[in-house]
Amino acid sequence: MGLVQREIEAAGFSTISLSMIPELTASAGAPRIAAIEHPFGMTLGRPGDAAGQLAVLRAALRAMEAMAAPGSVVHLPFEWTSTEKLRLGPPVPPPIARYLVRHPWALPRFLNRTPPVSSS
Amino acid sequence: MQPTKKVDSYRFVDGIAKRVLERWAALPGETHVPWTPVASPLSECTVALVSSAGIALQSDQPFDPEIERRDPWFADPSYRVLPRTARTGDVQVGHLHINPAFAQQDLNSVLPVERLDELAELGEIGAAAPSHYSYIGYTLRPERLLRESVPRMVQQLREEHVDVVVLVQV
Repeated sequence: MGLVQREIEAAGFSTISLSMIPELTASAGAPRIAAIEHPFGMTLGRPGDAAGQLAVLRAALRAMEAMAAPGSVVHLPFEWTSTEKLRLGPPVPPPIARYLVRHPWALPRFLNRTPPVSSS
Repeated sequence: MQPTKKVDSYRFVDGIAKRVLERWAALPGETHVPWTPVASPLSECTVALVSSAGIALQSDQPFDPEIERRDPWFADPSYRVLPRTARTGDVQVGHLHINPAFAQQDLNSVLPVERLDELAELGEIGAAAPSHYSYIGYTLRPERLLRESVPRMVQQLREEHVDVVVLVQV
C-alpha cells in the first residue's frame, strides 16, 4: 500500500492511507497514514455499519488536513468492541502459505522479502 | 486533546502472520518520502479511493488467481477501475489473503464509495471522483504493479481532476 501511495503522491496528489499495520506502511515511505485498529477485510467497519464507516472515513480526511510533514501518522481513536468470533482469514490458505509448507527453506526469503527471480 | 490511542497492529492476526509482519516492518525502509501539500480546503477537493483488496466489477475481467498460484511470491499486478456508482452486488474480490465475505456483504467495508458520496452531499469534500481503483496488495515483487498499473491510475486521476486520494489497506 505504501509503495503505491508514494508513487501517487509523487505524481502530484495528496494521499493518505488507512492502515491496520502503520509501521509496515510507514517503512514503505507513505506520506500520510491514518492507523486504524480494525480486522483485515473490514478497514472502514462492519458490513452495514454506515455510521461507523462514515466516521472512519471522515476522521482520516480530517487528520490529513492537519498533517504538515512527510511521514505523518495519526492513530485513529476507534475501538473495535464486537466480541463476535469472526473468521478473518481466507477460505483456503493463500498460495505462499502452502508453498512455504512444502519449501520451508524458502522461509528466510519470505521474511526478508527477497523473492527468487521471476520466471514470468 | 483526548488521550492518545496507540493502534495494536497485531490484535487480529495469528502468531505466524504477526511474526512475518513485524519482520517486514523492521526491514530497512524507504528514506525519501514524497509530499504534495493539500492545496485547497477539503470542501473544495475532488477525492478518489484506492483499495488493495483486488476488487473488480463483475462485468469486468476478474483478477487472475492463477498468476499467484503459479508463482506465489506475487499476485496479478493489474488494476481495475470502479465507477463511483459501483455497489456491493456489482463486484467480486480477488485478493487471496483475506476473507472476502465482508466486502461481499458490504463493499463500503473496504471501499467506502457510498460514504464518500455522503461526505460530498454534506459539503465536507468538494466531490467524489467519477472513478475509484483497486489492485491486489499482496506482492513481494511490486515492479510490474508500479511500472504498469500505477502510471495508468495516475493518468486517469489527472484526467478526472482529482486532488486527494484515500488508500484503503485491507
